[in-house]
Amino acid sequence: MKQIRIALWMGIVGGVMTTVAFLMSFFTAEVQLFGTVSLPQQIKTAYPLLGTDATGFMYGRPWFSQKIFYFHVPFAEASFLVFTVAAYFAVRFLMTKKKEYDTSSRVAMEVALVFVVLTLITGDLWTKASWGVWWEWEPRLTTYFIMTLLMVAYFVLRNSLEDEERRAVYASVYGIMAWITAPISFFITRVIPSDHPVVFKSGMATSNLLPFIVAQLGMLMIGYAVYVIRVREEAMRERLDVIKDSLEG
Amino acid sequence: MTDVKQAARISGMRQFKAILKKDIVMELRTKEMLTSMGLYALLVLLIYYIALSQAGRGFDVTNIAGGLLWLAIVFTSLLGLNRSLVHEKDQGCLDALLLAPVDRPVIFFGKAIGNLLFLLIVEVFVTPLFMIIFNAGKYAHGISTWGFVGLVLVVGSIGIAGVGTLLATMSVNTTGKDFVLAVLFIPIMFPLLLAVVAATWAILIANPDMAVYWKMIAVAGGYDVIMLLAAYALYEFVLGA
Amino acid sequence: MAEPYQTDNALEVRDLSRTFGARKALDKVSFDLPKGAFLSIFGPNGAGKTTLLKVLSTLTPPSKGSARVMGLDVVEDAVKLRERIGFISHNPLLYPDLTAEENLEFFADLYCIDDPKARVKELLTAVELDHRRLDAVRTFSRGMIQRLSIARSLLHKPDVIFLDEPYSGLDPHAMDILDSLVAAVRAEHTFVMISHDLQKGLELCSHALILAKGKIVLLDEREAIDPDAFAATYRATVGLGVS
Repeated sequence: MKQIRIALWMGIVGGVMTTVAFLMSFFTAEVQLFGTVSLPQQIKTAYPLLGTDATGFMYGRPWFSQKIFYFHVPFAEASFLVFTVAAYFAVRFLMTKKKEYDTSSRVAMEVALVFVVLTLITGDLWTKASWGVWWEWEPRLTTYFIMTLLMVAYFVLRNSLEDEERRAVYASVYGIMAWITAPISFFITRVIPSDHPVVFKSGMATSNLLPFIVAQLGMLMIGYAVYVIRVREEAMRERLDVIKDSLEG
Repeated sequence: MTDVKQAARISGMRQFKAILKKDIVMELRTKEMLTSMGLYALLVLLIYYIALSQAGRGFDVTNIAGGLLWLAIVFTSLLGLNRSLVHEKDQGCLDALLLAPVDRPVIFFGKAIGNLLFLLIVEVFVTPLFMIIFNAGKYAHGISTWGFVGLVLVVGSIGIAGVGTLLATMSVNTTGKDFVLAVLFIPIMFPLLLAVVAATWAILIANPDMAVYWKMIAVAGGYDVIMLLAAYALYEFVLGA
Repeated sequence: MAEPYQTDNALEVRDLSRTFGARKALDKVSFDLPKGAFLSIFGPNGAGKTTLLKVLSTLTPPSKGSARVMGLDVVEDAVKLRERIGFISHNPLLYPDLTAEENLEFFADLYCIDDPKARVKELLTAVELDHRRLDAVRTFSRGMIQRLSIARSLLHKPDVIFLDEPYSGLDPHAMDILDSLVAAVRAEHTFVMISHDLQKGLELCSHALILAKGKIVLLDEREAIDPDAFAATYRATVGLGVS
């Protein structure tokens, strides 16, 4: 019970932190500039006047869509981190054949899948806002798309197997192979010849690391909380199954 | 009580050869896998024609030729891998292999190399056909081009056969069989496929970019080494489940 | 690697458990079986019979406890042990597209048998399939397949032979052939058989075992068993286990 309590608190704190990060990203973080916008007359604004050109006065253009970064990057990092946790438990399971490890691995994979999908969504929003297209086959987005497919494949495999132990072994094996493939994928998408522009470096001013860090920690805490609660839920379900079986006797 | 044991000097090589020979003999007799894989590849070529039919007569397929070829190979190999393992599962033969004093890696190599062989044979048949039908070899510089293409095919096929054998051994025990194999296979193969398509492209274009070619071969080779090691290490667990 | 120690027992099972999570396929099973015995295992579906056979034939490792077959541990000496056990199942474990001869030669190679051709011929003759040796197995009748399967399992002269419901699906004639083949090698071999046929199983065995829910319900030598009492216990167990 204690672990659940801790997890619940972490979940709440994590939720608060993420919300704070969201607010910070809009109110306290410095707005990045990207390009210019020309206006026919001077106005009172916080953004610097950079000069004049034929059409009017050039002001630094605020880059609001960059704020998606405060979430996109933490989601991405969290997802790979949790994926690694899932792979770790998969290895432990294969070594010990203890069912708890397989359960942990699967639950971690579920959490990782959620984060990966969130990464894709925020990344997609960013490309739409900045480049006007809904999808771009650039290295990061592509890799996360592949990661989504790998994780979905993991669950397809699990669902297609009846035998519990076999399901656990196969899923662990695939989980490990998938975890190895993900970084290779990323590496390869950057190395193949292509004329895609490098869509973004992480455009963050270093002085604004704070909302980013808060968001990252907050998300990891939520992730952890969900993970712990789910594992408990699975353990209880297992106990319930055993009782059901013995009643059928 | 007799304790007469077979003076069995267990030879992994003999067992490996036996497994390989069995697959080859079976295939020669029924020609089942090769004909179905070959026919499947031809059907894919037909579909390509349909897909490109409105692209205009002067359409230069060179830039996408590598991709089209490898796509055909991927689908054909999915078919072949699945069938190869279905043979084992059908009569419970995989159990018979496991009951024998065979090291599990020997089974892995026996099946994987058998699959590789069949895949290469189908490629030898389909690749020239593809080149001819779609005029993809129009910038070819004689034998050397085909040599380079052959190298890409071998490097890619090694990865497909090795990792594919592991995945197919799992998928054949599921309720989804080929569907599950495709779902598992394609994302895992993604990096390798990107690399070999790039290498094939680099060779087929008007001015072959050898720098890119060799770089991609190296990347594909790296993938092969890493993933085959992983598959080799993990196969034991799959067989034991 | 443990040295196989000398023992008069073909099987030595100690607290053998096979579990996954909370599910127990085998629950602390312990027993011994002397060499040359014929053990018939009975029990309802899901009792753990097949699991027990799988553990003893090294197909699956135990979760807890240990088992020794002919003095060899099923985990540590697995590879060595496989040279000395044979398995006959209701699955033929044969490749339908290969000929009888090719099938046997393949397995002979797997077991690294000396002078494989002679041994294969010897066995084909023993099961009266020599005249069909160049025919693909897919052309064989069920009885012939079973005979070939027996030949396959005897190639390497195993000491212990496991049978997993070998009679299922056989017509009476094929059953007779199987009987006579088993009888022919009965001496000098230890048999462990799973059967749903109570009468047949009792008839052949020297020891009988009833399993239910992974535990031993009854284990006795045949002479000590009263057939009617045994049948009653068996029916009760089967009634219990079936849900």
